[in-house]
Amino acid sequence: MAEERTLFERLSNRFFAIPAVAQFWARLSAGRTQGLLDAAGGIPFAPLRKPLGRCRAALLTTAGVHRRDQPPFDMQNPDGDASFREIPNRTPLAELMITHKYYDHTDADRDLNVVFPLAHFQDLAGRGVIGGLATYHFGFMGHIDGPQLPILVEQTARTVAANLRRDGVDFAFLTPA
Amino acid sequence: MGIPTVSISITKDLTAAVGVPRAIFVKWPLGHPLGEPGQAAQQRTLIFDALLLLHTAQQPGIIAEPGYRWRREQYSEPAWEKLSE
Repeated sequence: MAEERTLFERLSNRFFAIPAVAQFWARLSAGRTQGLLDAAGGIPFAPLRKPLGRCRAALLTTAGVHRRDQPPFDMQNPDGDASFREIPNRTPLAELMITHKYYDHTDADRDLNVVFPLAHFQDLAGRGVIGGLATYHFGFMGHIDGPQLPILVEQTARTVAANLRRDGVDFAFLTPA
Repeated sequence: MGIPTVSISITKDLTAAVGVPRAIFVKWPLGHPLGEPGQAAQQRTLIFDALLLLHTAQQPGIIAEPGYRWRREQYSEPAWEKLSE
């Protein structure tokens, strides 16, 4: 199995699942993250250009979701794994799994919609609330640090953005974990 | 022009620090951005809130806080037709 958690990692997952602890950790981490923002450009913003009922949507999650037949995310590198996994829109949920030992995904394993709401979006596309879904959705893992961070920003993010553009995606729905 | 995004956030300060264009923040346990397993109405409410923000936001950096309490809310199926208004 790709994801073996030590006792310490198990306890750590439980500890950080406490919302107040997670918020405190986020505040500390935020101080180290400033370099990611383009100070000159500010926060990027692309307005939605069509009614939602005509928009094609893609799901992106950093919860470590991937197909069972794809290589799992690397759990050995303490800086995480900045690569991505393509998830075809028609993939049955039973063919997906999570590899990500840095949070407790017991509940998401029971119901993947907790982190990757593909079933709900397929329903919304069927009802015409959104226009349709992308050919591929994208799985990433969070917990990216050190040398993996520039790989994520300069390679992975650009490649995925180009793929979304090529697929005619009008908006992306993002879920962290 | 980039691709519009809307995100769920479960760590508010980190979301603000990375400069997310639009987000819905819920103070819930890590690993539960859309809520609890098997709670479709809860999950769909978060999706509705996010799509509404995507549809209405006029400026970058909005982190909306609906204030849903963990396991202490009653949810019902969202009024999806409001998204086409």
